[in-house]
Amino acid sequence: MMVTLRHTHNFLRSIPTASTLLVGLGLIILLLPKADYAQEGDSLPDWSGVWAMNGGTVFDRATVEGQGGSNTPGVREHPPYNAEYEVKYVRNLQLRDDGLFPDPLSFCGIPSGFPRIMNLPDVYEFAVTPKQVWIMAENGPGILRIYTDGREHPDPEMMWPTHTGDSVGHWEGDTLVFDTVSLHSSEEGRTIIDRTGLYLSDAAHIVTRMRKLDEATIEAQMTIEDNKALRDLWVVTKTYRKLGEGTRVYDYACAGNNRNPVDVENNRTLILGPDGEILNSDIDR
Amino acid sequence: MSEFCPKEFDDVQFREVDDMKFLNSLVLRVLVAVGFLFAVQPTIAHHSFAGFSNDEVKEFMGTIKEFQFRNPHVWIQILTTNSEGQEEEWSLEWGSPNQLGRRGIRPATFPPGTEVTVRTRPMINGSPAGAFVGAKFANGTIVGLWED
Repeated sequence: MMVTLRHTHNFLRSIPTASTLLVGLGLIILLLPKADYAQEGDSLPDWSGVWAMNGGTVFDRATVEGQGGSNTPGVREHPPYNAEYEVKYVRNLQLRDDGLFPDPLSFCGIPSGFPRIMNLPDVYEFAVTPKQVWIMAENGPGILRIYTDGREHPDPEMMWPTHTGDSVGHWEGDTLVFDTVSLHSSEEGRTIIDRTGLYLSDAAHIVTRMRKLDEATIEAQMTIEDNKALRDLWVVTKTYRKLGEGTRVYDYACAGNNRNPVDVENNRTLILGPDGEILNSDIDR
Repeated sequence: MSEFCPKEFDDVQFREVDDMKFLNSLVLRVLVAVGFLFAVQPTIAHHSFAGFSNDEVKEFMGTIKEFQFRNPHVWIQILTTNSEGQEEEWSLEWGSPNQLGRRGIRPATFPPGTEVTVRTRPMINGSPAGAFVGAKFANGTIVGLWED
């Protein structure tokens, strides 16, 4: 009986010691410096949910001049364009004011491309997976694939310009850093950054740093280098707010009922009546 | 069911319209805010609104023929009588159904056969179309922007 009691006593006495050890171990783990997120995905940040861009679709709100949106006459931005590209931008602004600068998106099926995909209305999803991050814009088609599996950009002979280019990235703590090249030039009218007529060349190289500022805000800071179009680095920051729990994302069948097709011959956007007749048959502006 | 909804919409799939109780002032405020957003910020549109007047707002009464709740933009088709006494069909363009749907607009918001007074920024060339500004139903329900 005495032996049994002593054993019980020893056992009970050991409980606080074990608890102290466990608590101490927990504290040590908590206080350890935060390691870079592993590519294996065991500690990738949670960017789930549905997000919407803050502000209108003027791409560079830090340099915007004039009141209104990207369609509004008089509104323009001030990228560090060289003289040649400033002239091109001013020409586009005039065409925009005259209603003669059709948006490639109005063709329905043309991707918004990068960096415009970061500058769209409607909503976004940011899918973080161990080896890729996908930026999915509802206003589509719009998917940007960012490879985070350690690969480099392809060899030059395997890269041809596309709307979204080629993006490879890595995690620096909770910040996604990705590098994008091989983009279409705006020169051929295939892509624009916003409806003021912002242009980039096929030499554009963009480094994006993306992170969660708080539970409801994601920031994307793009540093744009373009030795054909820009005389300096162009840094643009966009933010996105998280929408309410349960928000749904829908498909975006742009061609489903597109009553604003582009009249290629006259380089303008049409307005069609219910039977398909062209309502803006003359130049309206 | 809201009284402006015709019988054919009296179906369970449109129960949310009933539940919304359009006369509820909170929803009204939301709808007005939505309308304001779209009325003052056409930049979110799928295309340039260059063909629509920036200065003029036209108001007229008509009967809803169809609400095309489809991408990329919704269109409200309104039958009305023009100044020459002839029937005329107007096309009013608004935002994407995705955006509008998340802000409380539903396919049943403009029930065919219902009389409504609408405001629009009409086409500059006089064609019967415009950018939707707001609508007021006979029971006082307001959709979009409507300032008396």
